[in-house]
Amino acid sequence: MFKPFTLQARLGMAGALLAMLLLPAVTADPYVMHVMVLAMIFGIFASAWNLVTGFAGLKTFGHHAFFGLGAYGSALLAMHLGLSPWLTIWLGGLIAAAAGLLIGTPILRIRSMPHVAIVTLGFAEIVRICVANLSGLTRGEMGLWGIPQFEGLTLPYFGKVSFTPADKVSFYYLALALTVLMLFVIVRLMRSKTGLAMLAMRDGEDAAESLGVNLTRMKLMVFGLSAFIVGIAGAFYAHYLSILTPASAVGVDLMISIIAMVLVGGLGTISGPLVGAVVLTVLIEAMRDLENYRLLGYGALIVVIVMFLPKGLVTLRDRFFPRPQET
Amino acid sequence: MNLAIFLEQILNGLISGSMYALIGSGIALVYGTMRVLNLAHGEFYMLGGYFTFYLIVQFGLPFWAAIPLAVALAFLLGVLIQKLTIEYLIVRDNWVFTTIAATLGLSIVLQNAALLIFGERFNSVPYYVSGVMVLGDIRLPWQRVLIFVVALVTIAFMTWLLKYTRIGWSIRATSQDRDAAEVVGIPVRRVYMICFGLAAALGALAAAMLAPINAINPWAGIPILLKGFVVVILGGLGSFPGAIAGGLLLGVVEAVGVQLTSSEWRDVISFTLMIAVIWWRPWGLFGKK
Repeated sequence: MFKPFTLQARLGMAGALLAMLLLPAVTADPYVMHVMVLAMIFGIFASAWNLVTGFAGLKTFGHHAFFGLGAYGSALLAMHLGLSPWLTIWLGGLIAAAAGLLIGTPILRIRSMPHVAIVTLGFAEIVRICVANLSGLTRGEMGLWGIPQFEGLTLPYFGKVSFTPADKVSFYYLALALTVLMLFVIVRLMRSKTGLAMLAMRDGEDAAESLGVNLTRMKLMVFGLSAFIVGIAGAFYAHYLSILTPASAVGVDLMISIIAMVLVGGLGTISGPLVGAVVLTVLIEAMRDLENYRLLGYGALIVVIVMFLPKGLVTLRDRFFPRPQET
Repeated sequence: MNLAIFLEQILNGLISGSMYALIGSGIALVYGTMRVLNLAHGEFYMLGGYFTFYLIVQFGLPFWAAIPLAVALAFLLGVLIQKLTIEYLIVRDNWVFTTIAATLGLSIVLQNAALLIFGERFNSVPYYVSGVMVLGDIRLPWQRVLIFVVALVTIAFMTWLLKYTRIGWSIRATSQDRDAAEVVGIPVRRVYMICFGLAAALGALAAAMLAPINAINPWAGIPILLKGFVVVILGGLGSFPGAIAGGLLLGVVEAVGVQLTSSEWRDVISFTLMIAVIWWRPWGLFGKK
């Protein structure tokens, strides 16, 4: 994590970014763009979940609460207060972060992973039921529709850019910008002293504490930051699709997909969650006919990866193309 | 609201609570002995319900034969699942996370397999006993009385099993100190298997008793799992007596809470209670620090 990036890693990052930038030039097919936008939203979500679970070692299973809070929060602010979505997505993130701190405070003081898992699951269920029951505000199970779109922009060199449902390419670049920004934040954090302290905490709480890491403050900080990022992903999702339902935005299915993505890509790696998100989202779209088996597949994938490929797909590469041990 | 209706609600709360106690005690048994948080526990309930439904409705068995059979099937299923997954994960590093993740995946697999096999219909079973017990102004269907009696007998049986049999001693020794138990010759792996089977059996028994009241569908286990979690948090994670007390308490709190608000807020009440308990007494209401 603290080695300078190797040439290979730099080339890999530059190559991936270049490929993503150029993709719309190869095919601007609205369907491909749509799938990639979803993949990037899930990629941001997965990266933020990986931040708490993979890097900080806090095994939470209720992050879909923050996605839903960001999505509904931003959508309702934009609809009722007439604020611009450009502003409300950040407010949605802040709402999610506030909720993250609220729920993080009781569980993060105690060092018991099962408590964290149970409370986060329970909290997500509270959020889902509230969203479904407060139908005066959220229209409940009927779904919240008519969420305002991002206003168009005038950019230098590009001219006018608009964000209507037909402008998949502009959404694609917006999602890409957001992904790069969030990833930048996570990478900078993980390569800082705080990131080092976080890994120390994951690998041995007592040892980290004895060396001066304030465990509770560190955990709350990571939890809040992660909730913030997930909230922004949710808010972007709301203004992209313009329709939200409790099941699609706060459902446990969402969390299952994210967990599967992170485990496929590799828990506790920087690129893993993004790779997992793209691979699974594209794979699912490619096998649309098997929609009924989608969750079955995700569940089986989680079991198989946990049992046989603990580091995700990378394990396969290491098995077939063993590399010299890194020191 | 008059007193009789209030008492009736409290009694109904105790009856639901006795079922929560069975579910929570299964989670507590597995967690207490193996330190594994089983997110697939709700699916033992769901499958137990389907076993009961098929044995009674399809094969026409009387309920007193069908329920023990369904419970036995669930026991075997629990043993099998433990053998195929947890057995391998628990000996590795990072097992706290991998066992949670694996049981989560397993729960999704079982739900969706049930959806493919049984369909999404709600299946319910006829009442095992008919009629209503009348005590003054209080009226309780005999079915609910039966549920409570079965729960009490089961709790008494489990307490006896844990306290006075060799299996129970082995389970308690393993939960106190796994390594020391192994040293004195307790087959820890077999203890794990039995615990998982017992937990599955307890879940299935709750489903069998509730099947006439709560219809069974592939997602029936999800709310049950979450309720079970609330129960074990109230009682202190891993404590068997705590889970029993926590279950009864949750049932009563829900009954009163629903009286004060409405039934759609029931789960919010119980999860909020859980978070409040974690805030003030993370080791449970009844346990010691």
